[in-house]
Amino acid sequence: MSPQGTDFLYPFIEGDERDAPSLLADLARSAGAKWEQSSRLRKETLARIDDQIRQAAAAMARCFEGGGQLFVFGNGGSATDADDVAQLFTKPPRGEPLAARSLVSDHAVLTALSNDIGFDVVFSRQLEAHGRPGDIALGLSTSGNSENLLMAFGQAARRGMTTVGLSGYDGGRMADCEALAHNLVVRSDSVHRIQETQAALAHALWAAVQTEYRPHEGAA
Amino acid sequence: MTTARPDLAPPGGDVTGVAATPGLFDDLARASLAMARRFAAGATLWCVSPGSAFHAHHVAVEFVHPVIMGKRALPAVVVPPGTDVVASLRATVRPGDMIVAVAALAEGDVAEAMRRAPAWGVETVWIGAGPRPPGGAADHVLWLDATDPLVASEQFVRVYHLLWELTHVCFEHTGLLRPETCEEEVCITCSDEGRTAEVISVDELGEALVRTAEGRERIDTSLIDPPRPGDLVLVHAGSAITSLEEDRR
Repeated sequence: MSPQGTDFLYPFIEGDERDAPSLLADLARSAGAKWEQSSRLRKETLARIDDQIRQAAAAMARCFEGGGQLFVFGNGGSATDADDVAQLFTKPPRGEPLAARSLVSDHAVLTALSNDIGFDVVFSRQLEAHGRPGDIALGLSTSGNSENLLMAFGQAARRGMTTVGLSGYDGGRMADCEALAHNLVVRSDSVHRIQETQAALAHALWAAVQTEYRPHEGAA
Repeated sequence: MTTARPDLAPPGGDVTGVAATPGLFDDLARASLAMARRFAAGATLWCVSPGSAFHAHHVAVEFVHPVIMGKRALPAVVVPPGTDVVASLRATVRPGDMIVAVAALAEGDVAEAMRRAPAWGVETVWIGAGPRPPGGAADHVLWLDATDPLVASEQFVRVYHLLWELTHVCFEHTGLLRPETCEEEVCITCSDEGRTAEVISVDELGEALVRTAEGRERIDTSLIDPPRPGDLVLVHAGSAITSLEEDRR
């Protein structure tokens, strides 16, 4: 058995077992426990950083009011969250559509940058091309350590953009990143549970932006 | 052989007092074991979410590149968003594969792909919220009560994370990964009561070339109204005995 296995969580593992109902009961119980863990983390996190969410949302709303747009990015599952956020802002189920783009969706740009320079620059280089003062850079990472996010926040700050990050564990390197103005941390050490609460956090952030957003007359 | 586990809470949806749809965790457990069995036999997992492509991408990346070090990479593929789901799957799935959809009841062609899956030999998992698909719409229906679309979307992520986690737990129970043997007295597969087939072409004599879970075969269609290419029919002993399209026209 691999030392990385989860057998310590499931003590009835046997190579020759035939009792599927027993395993199924065990799996259902485990799923229920993890579901409850996720619900608790979601609730605790949204309550703990409520002020931070409001502050980040207010800063973002001011950018949108000034004609700014949102750039969202992340790696792996967080890349899919970035797509979720971009879709939510541009095609919201309620409220105002706001200008947002995912930086993970153009495979030509991603592969060109990775091939020619390296994966660390895939987001920062795009912000160099698109980002303007008054825009927003929103990066998601469960570890808080992704080099390409840290480089993107640096680039965004230099360009006068508002920077917002979603991270996990203790915030990782994003916690010490001076270029990152708002770091919303999901305190957990399970990547899956962090990601589940980050999805809720992103949705809460969107809802708070909708509440804060007051377009000026004459704005586009 | 593992003995019975009287210490375990009885299987039930809300085993932890958390608001989840009743029966969800049992459904998740069964779907995970089914997926582990199919993966162990060489299946590819096809991921579909026409309305929110990011869900399909998320499911696929979980299986291909697990977040937990040392867990095996498994073949999971996104059905490209914006494509004809049925045509894309028909062309690419192989018998023994699986489809997982994250979609509402009426979203895209998901229901139609699920309906055809038995003819392709594919097992189906359907994750969604809102109005529930009719019984038998998929092999595994993992359905949520959430009415807010954003809450539902968050819960979908939980569901497929758990699907991944439990599937990998099943891999450690190697004795349970063998294909299920048939213990029922009357088994539809063994007795050939009627297998789902998708018509590929029909000739002027009423013979049809069809696709079933066992592969391509020629069948007689004289017992039913002439089927058209793409129709689903039930096959028994070399003949189409029922069209599965009649209620749909």
